[in-house]
Amino acid sequence: MRRERSLIMAVIVVSLTVFAAARAADRPGVGKWKVVEVAVPANDADEAYLGRPIALALDADHLYIVDAQDCAVKIFSKDGEFLRAVGRKGRGPGELSFPSGVSVIGGRLYVADKFNYRVQAFDRAGKPCGGFSVPFAPDKAWALTGETLLVTSNPTGRPTAEKMLHIYDVGGRLRWEGLEAQASSDPVFDAFRNMILVCPGEGGDFFVVFRSGERSILHFAGSGALVGKIPVDERHAFQPMDLPFQGLRKRLLGFCWAAAWDRGFFYISAPAPVEGKDLGPGRFLSVVDREGCLTASIELPCPVHRFVVEGGRIYAVDDDGGLRIFEVVR
Amino acid sequence: MKKLAVFTLAVLVLVSAALFFPTSLAAHDVNECFKNHQDCRENALNLDAPWYKVMIILTVCDFALGKCALAL
Repeated sequence: MRRERSLIMAVIVVSLTVFAAARAADRPGVGKWKVVEVAVPANDADEAYLGRPIALALDADHLYIVDAQDCAVKIFSKDGEFLRAVGRKGRGPGELSFPSGVSVIGGRLYVADKFNYRVQAFDRAGKPCGGFSVPFAPDKAWALTGETLLVTSNPTGRPTAEKMLHIYDVGGRLRWEGLEAQASSDPVFDAFRNMILVCPGEGGDFFVVFRSGERSILHFAGSGALVGKIPVDERHAFQPMDLPFQGLRKRLLGFCWAAAWDRGFFYISAPAPVEGKDLGPGRFLSVVDREGCLTASIELPCPVHRFVVEGGRIYAVDDDGGLRIFEVVR
Repeated sequence: MKKLAVFTLAVLVLVSAALFFPTSLAAHDVNECFKNHQDCRENALNLDAPWYKVMIILTVCDFALGKCALAL
């Protein structure tokens, strides 16, 4: 009897091992892509200094970096040469108070003007050319098409049903709101669970990546309709972090520090352990296809806070707030 | 030792916030308290700092909201 039981157990173990090995063999291998750093010009002008760079955007010719400290959008060439700044601190037209997001389409620059509770538009010359007020502090503003903008908001921490995504037309009319924030009796824990990143896709679609606790990327149509969920390959692993204070102790599963979308691939930077317990920006990017499969991993020479990707180039902000440009070598 | 240092720092931050947080000095309007609380959270969430630090600042924001709302 005991011998039979051992035999059955052995068969189960062998079957499971063979099954796991077969599944692993089915998955394509993960490439290791290298990067070569492109030298950025010195940019000695005071205006070129990035005090608190918190968002980046690209168009055909330029790189746009939001500097929340200087209340300006700083415009660089694609080679990293500083060209000019748009905006200054204030509440009037063309003035900004804690800009936190930028997007550019059709020669128009849209800036999330957080503490002025509005989205401002600027033309190519940097002159204000419209915008609209919103009933919340906008976090990011993404031009989905020439006609519609996706504006994100951080939940206030109050125990009410709050939406985090808002689609407006360029005239400021609300078209759609969605993605309800998770709320519990612990607003600090909720703040982490509700931290999202948006990657605009093609044709007005967009993707929402949660920074912790959730490994599925949400795919929305430009109308706001949820198209699907993309479960990301578990080889892009969660990074756990215990929150302190006994009694409120909860475990966060860090998933993504920053993310970008380019030509059918997500670039997701994994948070990295900092001094044992903490999680900070990492220097590894996972390249994930639109089915969620990990296709490559990129090791950067330094941790990066924010980045955008275009073709084979990664434009990033490092620990010191400096602009770094990397060429990807496959 | 490290634990003690982190704990001491956290206590110092909380005490400093309790003593010096500017909104609590004059504000008794609860709506103003909530607005300051939201600004405090937005600043924390946009710090792009390691999460422990963000968590401590968010906690300070919540303490400051309580202090402001109670007009302490």
